[in-house]
Amino acid sequence: MSELRLAWRNVGRNPRRTALTVAATVFAVLLVVDFTALTRGMHEKMIEDSVRLRSGHAMLAAPGYLAERSLDYFIELDGAMIARLDAVSEAEGWAPRVVGFALVSQDVTSQGVALLGVDPRREASVTSLPNRIVEGSFLSADAERGAREIVLGKRLAERIGADVGDQVLVYGVAYTLESAYELFTVVGLARVPNAKLERSMAVVAIADLQEFLAFGDRVSEIAVLASSAERTEPLRQALVSNVDGLVPAPRVHPWPEVMPDLEQLLILDRAGLYIMLAILVVVVGFGILNTILMAVLERQRELGVMLALGLRPAAIFRVVLLESFLLAGLGLVLGLGLAIPIGLWMEANPIEMGEQLAGVSELMGVEPVIRSNLEFSTVWKSALVILVVAMAAAVYPAFRAGRANPVDALRSL
Amino acid sequence: MLLRLAWRNLWRNPRRTTIMLIAVAIGIAGSLLSMAVNYGMVDQMVRTAIETELGHIQIHAAGWEADPKLERILADGGRAAERALASGPELRASTRRVRADGLAISARGSAGVAVMGVDPDREPGVTVLRDALIDGEWFGTSRLRAVIGQALADQLEVGAGDKIAVSVQDALGELTGGGFRVAGTFRTSSSDFDRSTVLLRLGEAQELLALGGGVTEVVAVARDDDVIDPLASRAEMSLGEAVEVRTWSELQPLLLYMVETFDMMAWYLYGAVFIAMAFGIANVLLMSVHERTREIGMLRAMGMRRGQVIVLVVLESLLVTIVGVVSGLAIGLAGALALRDGIDLSAFAEGLASYGVAPRIAPVLRASDLLIPLVVAGFTAGLASCWPAVRATRYRPADALRRS
Repeated sequence: MSELRLAWRNVGRNPRRTALTVAATVFAVLLVVDFTALTRGMHEKMIEDSVRLRSGHAMLAAPGYLAERSLDYFIELDGAMIARLDAVSEAEGWAPRVVGFALVSQDVTSQGVALLGVDPRREASVTSLPNRIVEGSFLSADAERGAREIVLGKRLAERIGADVGDQVLVYGVAYTLESAYELFTVVGLARVPNAKLERSMAVVAIADLQEFLAFGDRVSEIAVLASSAERTEPLRQALVSNVDGLVPAPRVHPWPEVMPDLEQLLILDRAGLYIMLAILVVVVGFGILNTILMAVLERQRELGVMLALGLRPAAIFRVVLLESFLLAGLGLVLGLGLAIPIGLWMEANPIEMGEQLAGVSELMGVEPVIRSNLEFSTVWKSALVILVVAMAAAVYPAFRAGRANPVDALRSL
Repeated sequence: MLLRLAWRNLWRNPRRTTIMLIAVAIGIAGSLLSMAVNYGMVDQMVRTAIETELGHIQIHAAGWEADPKLERILADGGRAAERALASGPELRASTRRVRADGLAISARGSAGVAVMGVDPDREPGVTVLRDALIDGEWFGTSRLRAVIGQALADQLEVGAGDKIAVSVQDALGELTGGGFRVAGTFRTSSSDFDRSTVLLRLGEAQELLALGGGVTEVVAVARDDDVIDPLASRAEMSLGEAVEVRTWSELQPLLLYMVETFDMMAWYLYGAVFIAMAFGIANVLLMSVHERTREIGMLRAMGMRRGQVIVLVVLESLLVTIVGVVSGLAIGLAGALALRDGIDLSAFAEGLASYGVAPRIAPVLRASDLLIPLVVAGFTAGLASCWPAVRATRYRPADALRRS
């Protein structure tokens, strides 16, 4: 206790120096906490946008489908399968898809597309596709088999010159490897945050596509949505145990398996952030080291007297560490006092990106909005890092302080 | 005189100054290296795009960009465009292509693809596709050969020697197709390109698409980056309104945005590191000014003006910052040099390839990477010395001398 009082007094001895060191710490805490929150918010948004665009948090598919994505790999969606999927309580929703490739053309312009067959009733429970219509409407839920409605990406429609109400020719290769042609009526145009995807996106009713491709009742993949990205693993486990025993058993792929590129990109991006923050924290750490070392060197005489009076070097070592701890703690408290409200404010008020950043985010397939996500774990981990750095910075000065020479100190009195 | 005084003052307490210098140097070296690696990544992204497909300049018939239809072709086979490009010293190489969307079909599957008719002899002057071959050969000598991306080959489950069918809509609007044997497969740094590209011989593609002798584009690379714009404007001047001349940054504005965003990030990173340093520098100066209260009072009593005291403190601040920055830059440069063979990120190969980046990234340094830290450092040094300098002038000579 007396050590704490001693340390606290030392911190208050040179208020100007303390103020500058604390200010540097506050700055570091602010950047560490809020930048981590911003990056976290951005990453969660990227994951959310991506899973809500297509894959869900987990995807069921036949073994081998992910690598080839061809019609050779399929799941039979029969009553038993539907019952098992409905029984998964971790699943917020699930939707079956058939995926084929086709040329879509209007007059003399054609474009290769990934033709996505969806169940119009179920799709909304997994992806945001039905809400992304900017002209016309989504596939009608009660359309008869054979209504042959199609939703095109806006950019695709512009490219081939199609409009809502037009008929487009879809040309592809069926499961039987025969050529298939069919006219579809454009009912809606959709926008998605990924320009490349929007240029090659065409969505039809799953029943129409099964007929077009002579695919029977088979489906290519089943997308399943969890309540949030963090619930991916429980969802995966629940799905695995529920489809276990089906012959043939489909594979369960969590989203990082479906989109390894996204997962890797996020890891790289996080690494970049941590490197930048580490540089910053090291710079601030040296500032603390300097402050504490100067404070110790100024007090050589005083420390010598204390040693002569019988204070153990270990106690002095502790006092100096405690000084650094208090200094960093003060910065931490003030820093968090600023960083947390700012982080929460940014969480409540997403930032719209400028045109240039919007362009980059479009390239990466994210909506041009930065939302922060301040998690408690970010706060305590940042606090821990700052305190550990402050302790590390104080080790050398504390060691020096413990070695002050009582004889020299007393002689110079 | 003041400079020498400032320099000496710094080394009165060598430990304190050294710690500060180390902090500045680590901050600078770290920022420099991480920016260089970042920029290396962006640079590679741009280079991959240019080398696999884009070229520096593309010339299309007018209206192609807004509405790329096969009726908008260079009917003379691009000869006028190539003549215009070659009329000056800036051109390194050019080639002609036709391009259409289509479907590639094998016995095992089908995929939407971009069908590119290329001149097998001249394409390698512009793109790296021939060098990117990993299996088979570059068209060979027989007729009706195709070269396709390895990822596409995997999807179609074909290899060199197997047959694929290519379906397209020709210039007359008819759905048509043809059989081709895969001569070879390539793998570039862009997974997108590898998944969706079928290369045919120019003549055979023209026949398939019923284009006669017409081509859709002329692609050119300039001798170096600085002459891209002059080359483009020369072509534009001599070809007039009938064609669209576009540079890579006009064709892929997002890539340019990416480059500019990273440039901006450099300023933010340095800004943050320097603010953190400014507190440390201000602290050191403040302590040193405080210790010298008497001395400064003495100097003032001997006739040193207020302004000179300020200059002295600012000089001390500038010196410590500049020495720190220069040694930081030296360490950073040494680091970049040590890493010049690239950092192996093959664990992230898929993520990088989907943005057209190879898994080995070499740091790229530009002149501005050295300039920005120096500019920001000067600024920081000035900022950090404000308070200590003002404090130093506040000491009244008489009081300062009395305090002994």
